[in-house]
Amino acid sequence: MFVHIFKTRLKCLLRDKEMLFWSLLFPVALALLFNIAFSNLNAHDTFEPVKLAVVADESYLQDAAFRGALRNVSTGESRIFDLQETELAAARTMLRSNDISGYILAGDVPTLITSGTGLGPSIAKTFLDSYLQMQSSVNSILAKDPSSYEELMDRLNARLSYTKEVSPGGGESNPVLNYFYSLIAMTCFYGAFFGNREVLDVQANLSPLAARISVSPVHKLKSFLYSMCASLLINAAEVLLFILFLAKVLGIDFGEDTGLVVLTALMGSFTGVTFGAFISSLVKKDENVKIGVIIAVSMTGSFLAGMMYGEMKYIVQQNVPVLSYLNPINLLTDAFYCLYYYDTYTRYAVNMGILATFAVVFCLGTYLVIRRRKYAGI
Amino acid sequence: MVINARNLVKRYGELTALDHLDITVEEGEIFGLLGPNGSGKTTAINCILSLLDYDEGSIEVFGRPMTPENYEAKRKIGIVMQNVAVFQELTVYENIDYFCGLYVADKTLRRKLVNEAIEFTGLEDFRKFRPKKLSGGLLRRLNIACGIAHKPQLIILDEPTVAVDPQSRNKILEGIAELNRNGATVVYTSHYMEEVEQLCTRIMILDKGRAIATGTKDELKAMISIGEKVIVDTDVPDEALLKALGGIRGVSSVSYSEGAVTVTSGRGMSSLEAVLEILKKSGAAYSRIRTELPTLNDVFLEITGKGLRD
Repeated sequence: MFVHIFKTRLKCLLRDKEMLFWSLLFPVALALLFNIAFSNLNAHDTFEPVKLAVVADESYLQDAAFRGALRNVSTGESRIFDLQETELAAARTMLRSNDISGYILAGDVPTLITSGTGLGPSIAKTFLDSYLQMQSSVNSILAKDPSSYEELMDRLNARLSYTKEVSPGGGESNPVLNYFYSLIAMTCFYGAFFGNREVLDVQANLSPLAARISVSPVHKLKSFLYSMCASLLINAAEVLLFILFLAKVLGIDFGEDTGLVVLTALMGSFTGVTFGAFISSLVKKDENVKIGVIIAVSMTGSFLAGMMYGEMKYIVQQNVPVLSYLNPINLLTDAFYCLYYYDTYTRYAVNMGILATFAVVFCLGTYLVIRRRKYAGI
Repeated sequence: MVINARNLVKRYGELTALDHLDITVEEGEIFGLLGPNGSGKTTAINCILSLLDYDEGSIEVFGRPMTPENYEAKRKIGIVMQNVAVFQELTVYENIDYFCGLYVADKTLRRKLVNEAIEFTGLEDFRKFRPKKLSGGLLRRLNIACGIAHKPQLIILDEPTVAVDPQSRNKILEGIAELNRNGATVVYTSHYMEEVEQLCTRIMILDKGRAIATGTKDELKAMISIGEKVIVDTDVPDEALLKALGGIRGVSSVSYSEGAVTVTSGRGMSSLEAVLEILKKSGAAYSRIRTELPTLNDVFLEITGKGLRD
């Protein structure tokens, strides 16, 4: 009987194009959109050197220190400026035609000429202010103690940074990944559509098909479990396919522990499908209302897990930390992030433990409702 | 006895859907449950199938109390629900195979039974069609095929011909009669008196959850006071003509509506000859004249004071 029901159910679910769209193609489409959006975001993050000119007049040519400092920050791959040494007239023309962000007149005190505000002029001004401040400090120290020149130069050349970024695990901090992980969590929870359908097709008071199946000589709970196996298999396969797509096509990093990534996906899928069954058995309204509740809960959970706005996850953690643990989509998102970011499993285990508790609650709740075999009304 | 339901009471709040109803169905008969919409036919069926809780009474099917766990009885029952209950994603063949498979595990036997059901319901040309491609009539036939493929001993059909074209309806009724000839006991619910009259060997008329009459169609018709009706299609008749018709011996009533005069005789009486004579004498113009024997609607009308379709 298991094979008969399971096989038929697989056929039904695989032929339900609407369900397949929402549970697989929709997340794939969203992932592609995310990828396009975040690619542009990363392109914007790449620093473009500021186009700057300096008037190569006599004072500039005589000020070797300034010329050296300016040339120093205008060479190499991580240069700040694309520097042009030119005449005053040419510099003015380039500024007017917006070919440069500004130009510098060396003079007695170097001066920045810009046509307005913006990132380029601000960077140039910051550099110039910093140089002038440094020059002033050096001049005043040397005026007091000319013998300290060498030590001063050594210290200036050995600037120290007192903070550094460290990763507690193998991965580098990457807030963009959270968007994709929450998308996987959403996909797992779209498995709720499968769970919903299973309950609709087993509760005789919810559909004629369920009533018809209920009068057949098959134990109701067995029939439900056999069908659920098909739903779980399809949803788990969809989630794994989706992860494969993210990893191989979009190049999303999941860390090194593939086995645990698969385990997390399977746990997410199980929780998602049982969540749908739970909602469907709990909400005593028609199918549209049940689907509405599933979508509302999934999308709210995804939003709070940072799918639409990355900072939201941290806002929730800071202001309502308990909500982070009550939102299964956040737990799942965080579990994936833990596998990528940390090399210890404490936080991951906590997430998975709470998710498992949710799944047990969903299963028990569903069982308590659907175990009823006769109804007050049909 | 195949079904023995005693003193069934089912209440929905203030509404009593079944009011101390007794239903007995003997092996081999076609038992009809006739009644208007809301009379309790489907509620009674759902109670018998152990889908619905009931407040009082007892139900035995094949000699054993009917419960959701009585799989032995369930295995012998074929049910055709009022609403078509099939999987939209499966083909005709796959749907019948699925439902048959809930009763029959052996694949070879099942294939044979499914093919027989397809042939029986005339769905040979549609075996690879999905339900949404089928017309209303074909869909009903698929619904029936899913219910009878496993060759049940008891077939319960709940309004199987609702929204079906006359051609499909006749095909369905012929099929049900054949199933009965092949040995199945049939319980058939409908609010179409013509169907029940044509098909059923014994009929129970339901109204407001109560059985108001039970018997063969002849026994039911014998319960009422009216006999043959003579119906004359004519223009508005004058008072004198109506009075003359009313004066015929044995006539219980004369009425006029929608272009026809209806002369109703008492039980066992006939008035056709006298009506023709009066029409000839009066010179009244008429386009057609016909006679009708009492129908189940007349039985229902006389007992409840309203028509089956009111």
